[in-house]
Parts: sequence; C-alpha cells; structure tokens
Amino acid sequence: MKFLTKINRNYLVLFTAILFISSVAGYFILRHVIVNATRESLLEKKRMLIEQIREIGEISNLYPLLEVQKLDRLSGREPGFSLILINNMTEDELEPYIEYSEELKIGDSLYSLKLRQSSFESEDLIIILSLSLFTIIFFSLGISFFISRRMNRTIWTDFERNLETIEHFNFSKDKKIPLVHTDIEEFDRLNRVIENLTEKLSADYLSLKEFTENASHEIQTPLSVALLQLDEALQNNLNEEVFKKTITAIKALKRLSSLNQSLLLLAKIENKQFNVDAEVSMNDLIKRKIKEFETLFEIKKLHVEVTYDQDFMLKINTQLADILLNNLLSNAINHNLEGGTIHLDINPDGLKICNTGNPNTLTNDTVFNRFSKGNSKSYGLGLAIVKKICDTNYLDIKYEKNDMHCFTITKNSQMSSEK
Amino acid sequence: MKVLVIEDEVDLLISISNYLGKENYICELADNYRKAWEKLSIYEYDIILLDITLPDGNGLELMKTIKQFQIKAGVIIISAKNSLDDKIHGLDLGADDYMTKPFQLSELNSRIKAVLRRRHFGGTAVITFNELSIDTNGRRVTVKGEEINLTPREYDLLLFFLINKNRVLTKEVIAEHLWADQIEMVDNFDFIYTHLNNLRRKIKTLGGVDYIKTIYGMGYKFSDL
Repeated sequence: MKFLTKINRNYLVLFTAILFISSVAGYFILRHVIVNATRESLLEKKRMLIEQIREIGEISNLYPLLEVQKLDRLSGREPGFSLILINNMTEDELEPYIEYSEELKIGDSLYSLKLRQSSFESEDLIIILSLSLFTIIFFSLGISFFISRRMNRTIWTDFERNLETIEHFNFSKDKKIPLVHTDIEEFDRLNRVIENLTEKLSADYLSLKEFTENASHEIQTPLSVALLQLDEALQNNLNEEVFKKTITAIKALKRLSSLNQSLLLLAKIENKQFNVDAEVSMNDLIKRKIKEFETLFEIKKLHVEVTYDQDFMLKINTQLADILLNNLLSNAINHNLEGGTIHLDINPDGLKICNTGNPNTLTNDTVFNRFSKGNSKSYGLGLAIVKKICDTNYLDIKYEKNDMHCFTITKNSQMSSEK
Repeated sequence: MKVLVIEDEVDLLISISNYLGKENYICELADNYRKAWEKLSIYEYDIILLDITLPDGNGLELMKTIKQFQIKAGVIIISAKNSLDDKIHGLDLGADDYMTKPFQLSELNSRIKAVLRRRHFGGTAVITFNELSIDTNGRRVTVKGEEINLTPREYDLLLFFLINKNRVLTKEVIAEHLWADQIEMVDNFDFIYTHLNNLRRKIKTLGGVDYIKTIYGMGYKFSDL
C-alpha cells in the first residue's frame, strides 16, 4: 500500500469516527443544556407567578402552560420536574411538555402550581443544532482532509522523484546520484545517507573495475618474461626431449595469456568500455572476414557458402563487430569436421551462421556459458564473448542444432522501444 | 644501430637487451620515465622501444617529448594493454608500431627491421643471403638473379626467416606473425607446413639451397649450411 493511501485511509476512518462521536455527543450536550435552560425558565416563571398571586390574589389558568389550583390541604408531594405528554387540541396529537409542579402556601391559601413548557420546539432546536454541528464538523474535516492530501502530495513529490532517480541509477554509467533537495529535514537526511552510500559504492565499483583491468595487465608482464626466457632457451641446441618440453611450456603460457586477454575483454565489454562508433555493414564485414580466414578454411578444407540477401546494418563499436565475427567464424571452424560446410546467411533482420560438426551436449542455455567447452582444446570463452557483445548491443542470439549447428543473431525488440 | 629500451620490468629489459645485443644492436636501457627522458634529451637513437606503463609516468607522455625534441628515431610501443584506444593514440602521436605483451623476440626483431626499412636509416631495402635476395620495396625475391613468383604468405614467411636467421622459430611464432589476428583461435598449426613446403619447392626449382631446417617437427630454423 502506498504511504499516501495508507494515510488517507486512516484519515477516513478517524474522520468517520470523529463525525459520529461528535454528532452524538453534540446532541446530548445540547439537549442537556436546553432542558436545563427550560427548567431555569420554569423556575423563574414560578417566582413571578408567586409574586403575582401575592399581589393580585387571583390568577387565571392558561392550559396547558399554567395550572393553578387552590388546595384545602397539602398532599405532601415533593416539588419537581417531570416530562409529560399532553394532547394538543388544535392538531389532536400528543406533545411533550416539561412540567414543574409544586404545592405551596401563598399568603393564607394553599396552592398547587403546575407550570409547563412545550419541549416540542426545543427538541426541534436540538435536532437542528445537532445537524448544523454535524455539517460544520463534516465540512471542516472534509476540507482539512483535502488540504492535507494536496499538501502531502506536494511534500512527497520530491521524495517520489528521488525514489525514481534511485531506481534508475546505474553504477557503470552515472558517477553521482542527482537527488533533489526537498526542504524537509528527514528527507534531506535520507538523501545525504543515500548519496554517501552510492558514492562509496561507486568508488568500490570503480576500484573493482580497475582492479580487474590492472590485474590482467600485470599478469601479461611476467608472462612476457617467462615466454621470452623460454624462447631464448629454445635457441640452445636442445635435445628433443627438452625442446618438446620447452615448447609445451610455451604453449601453456600462451594459452594462459590469451585466456587472460579474453577475460579482460569480457570485463571491458561488461563495463561498457566500447562505445558505438559506426554503422557496420555486415555484408562488407563478412566479405572481409572470409578473405582473412581463407587460410584457416583451407586447412580444414571447409566449404563456405554465403547468402547475401539484403544488408544487415548494425550500430556497434567496430572493434566489437570484428571480435564478434572472428569468434563466430573461429567457432564454426574449430568445431567443424574435416571437409565440412559453413553457411552464412545475411538478411535485413539478422545474421545466421551454421556449421557442420560433431554432436554435442550443449544447449541454447549452456553454450554461451563461460568455460563451457565443445572440445577440450578451446577456452570456452569465445562464445561467452559473443553473447556479451550481443547483450550489450541490443542483439539476441540463439543456438539451434539440427543437422547443423546454427547461431542466429537478430536485433532485439527492446531496441526499437528504447530509441 | 642504437636502440633505447624503455621498460620498467627489469627481467624483460635484460631479455630484450641480451637478444638485441646478439643481433648487433647497441642497446641502452631505461627502467623509468625520468631516466628515459634524460637519455632522450642527450643521446640519439635509431629505434626506441617504449613501454606505456612506467612507474613514474606514462609512456605516451614520452611520445610527446620525442615529438617536441624532433627526435628522428623510430618508435615501437610495447604495452601490456591490448587497447585499441592506446594503440590509435600512440600511432597518432607518431609511433611506428605497437606491440602487445607477451611478444616473441623474433617478432620484435621483425618489427624493428620493418621500421628501419621504412625509415631508411641503415635498413637497406634489399636483404641478401647467399643466392637469395629480397627487395622489400617491390616485395620481389630472386634466386641467383632469377625472380621467383611467391604468394604474399610465402614472401612474408621467407622475409621472417631471413630476418630471424639462425633462430629457432616455432610454428606458433610463425603463424602468429603471418596471421596475427585470426590465429588466436586456431589449435593446430600444421598448415604452416604446406606453405613452407611450397616455398622450399619454389626456391629449389631455381637451384637454390633449402636453408630451412625442421627441428623435431615442432620448429624451424633458417641457417647457412
């Protein structure tokens, strides 16, 4: 649940409760006040009545508001208020009255006084007052609800915007996280914490990146030394056994070196250190590559067929495009059979490269994994690099095998939506 | 021929200078930026081998110094970074070639010779060895004065052998020299044999001697009989 929804919901519950309680309480308080006032006024009237009786000695009844009766003797009833119903003569229905009755001696005579006041109007008054109270509370709560909602929204806008910035933050692209200053201490405190954290993480990320690169570079130098020494050793009229051992050592070191370079290349692609710098025509590139690879095709007596339909244009870093095709072609050569076939198909939507070869256990999910090898001589990195290049350049790559092993590269549908 | 080797890794520095000494170069060494700068400002060299990552400075900065002093030496950058940006930058600054570590000494020699030939200091355009003669300008090879028709690969192969005569060259080294970019992915270098045999055959047809010795089936050596 969103923070604002939560607040609004709580607010509404509270709002209903306050409205209900205050209306009911208002009704009873008003009622109490009005009944009291009525009683006061009845007592006041009684006082005036007694005075009048004393002066004039006689008073006429005014039913139902005033009843004065002469008594022979006191019945001993206590004076007091009561609520009675009296039939209204004009409308012929029962109306509520508050009655004050008292028996008392005025001068020499005994009287029974009954003073009444209709509570019918005051009942109306109470209801009207309660209703207006209800309305006032309702509107003031309602207005304050909407104002606070609006205010909340403006207050939280900056927060929401910052939240969005954080969501879209990318360590490899952005150096600093651009958070909006909010004027609210708590939010700004949060911003500061996040800014410090990301700065630290960015620094760590950068140093890790640099570490990978530096480590790879540093590995090359001792490898160079070892290789140069072994190469020098080869020049010394060695016997066959030592010669072969030295060559085996050189080969192993070479392997280590190119493995290291492949890993470095993967890291660099991952770190997006290759910028798109050209729109490459696959037709042209493949023509060039096939020429370069001619010798290698010849060695295995491979038959290469290329279908140039329409050109496949690709916005990519030229170096990466080169590596992409190098690796795909090398893969097609190395895993091919002697006298086998390589088939290349270029169309506007993509590129397909198929080669004959021995069956393997690799699938579309595993073939691109690092160090997953079709044969023991490869590093298992060539296709991982291909995949990484595809991933970083909005390309999809798929591996299928039927009678041939096929790799299909197509433009990713995401690309069109992003651009 | 004077060479200045600028390289901070002492073992590498010694290996290179030993080798270049044997190849009759006069070698001077600098293992940091400051020393290199001093030597560059005092002496003249024909070739400078320059490592980019030095403990007290960047080799590319030295390239600027070389340009500023109008030093005429040929420069070959040797870098552990196989970075295209560095390569382009280095070549832009006037370097003649760019090599990535690890490299083979025979390859280094071949590159130095190529730079010397291009720059015409001391490197003659024609390389002769007994009855063989290679005109590097026209990429023409003659045996006893008669021209033989070689494919570009065969020509490169012969040139590489001549420059690195008396040196054992493994099949990998040869393959790397001839097919630098693609070779990394190849696991069998036996195809060298085909090219080599064609070369031998063509030379022998014109009465030339086969100077290429096979060593234990794994390497080759070009040497006088």
